[in-house]
Amino acid sequence: MARWLRPRRRSHWPVHLALALISALMLIPFYWVLKTSLTGENIFAYPPSLLPHDPNPFYFVDVWYAIPFLRYLINSVVVSVLVVVANVFLNAMAGYALTRDFPGKAATIMLFLSCMMIPFQVTIIPAYLITAKLHLLNSYFGMALPLMSTIICIFIFKAAFEAIPHSLVEAARIDGVPDWQIMFRLIMPLTKPAIATNVILSFIWSWNSFLWPLVVVRDVDMQTLPLGLSRFMSVVEDTTGALYAFCVMVLVPGLLIFLLAQKEFIKGLTSGATKG
Amino acid sequence: MRLSWLNNRFTITFGVIFVLVAIWNVYIGFHDHGLIEGRVIGPNGAPVAGATVTLFEQTLLVNQERGKTTTDAEGRFKFTGHHMHRPYLEAEKEGVGQFGPHQYPLYFQGEDLILKKPIELAPRTS
Repeated sequence: MARWLRPRRRSHWPVHLALALISALMLIPFYWVLKTSLTGENIFAYPPSLLPHDPNPFYFVDVWYAIPFLRYLINSVVVSVLVVVANVFLNAMAGYALTRDFPGKAATIMLFLSCMMIPFQVTIIPAYLITAKLHLLNSYFGMALPLMSTIICIFIFKAAFEAIPHSLVEAARIDGVPDWQIMFRLIMPLTKPAIATNVILSFIWSWNSFLWPLVVVRDVDMQTLPLGLSRFMSVVEDTTGALYAFCVMVLVPGLLIFLLAQKEFIKGLTSGATKG
Repeated sequence: MRLSWLNNRFTITFGVIFVLVAIWNVYIGFHDHGLIEGRVIGPNGAPVAGATVTLFEQTLLVNQERGKTTTDAEGRFKFTGHHMHRPYLEAEKEGVGQFGPHQYPLYFQGEDLILKKPIELAPRTS
């Protein structure tokens, strides 16, 4: 074959270079937060110094002792675990139901999709009244309640379940396997990316949730990390280093979970996008 | 027996964090007697006896004096039982000089602090 007819192998380095530059640009704010937390430098200093001068971990020590950080961390973890477990369980059931045929299925899907357009702030008063009627104000369960099932995650499960060959489910049904076993013992193990996506999204939403805990929590001991950060900013002024150290301490768990599960997360988001 | 869950990045990451936290807490357990020890020397390098050393605590929420002592014949001083992570030391002796207040940030409250470099009094400038 003539040389000019051979398929040319395209060089990838320009694309990789562009991606690396964009990634570096996106990481600058994180780097700046981390640098300030280690140096306490004035963030408005001009010209800004790119490299940290005399970095030390003592602002983290300040934060650890200035506020009940461990208490806030435990509260955030408990609420997030409740939200994650409930999301995986409830969303999987809802997603499975939406893969089956039943009267009013199209209307249900339309209702779900339309509900996604309503911002949470609009429903916060009814949500508060319901939580109060259930006597769940100022409790972990009350903080977790509105995030226990999210429509986006239901659709992620639905897309993942629909990608599983229907014949597999039918074969199990012919063998007399009940629906709950089909879901939890057959389908769920095959949709790990969707589970990981649910875990990450629900964890991050719960971890960063500020408005709802602010409304339902009255006790200082029940506050989560975002509320603690807000309280810290209102009580302690002129604390650039400590404030940024607190931000890093709030950010790290979410980042860690994301980095650990990112492979499944990306798979989960793209599953169902293409079929066959 | 299946132990595949052990070879999982979640288990490894959180396991390593747990081990590091445990080691750190054991280290704290052996080094949190709240001891601050040091020596005071004069501008000529000789130990200063009878110098007054003051211990302050300054954090994001507190700024208070926490103790006062005087140095012995060899210029040594000692504070015990502190619960601080940002101690400040100030030393002075009439006719010899003054030092500080100087900050000694610690990694945890009550950490033992043995000053490797002696506190050196310098003549007052004003």
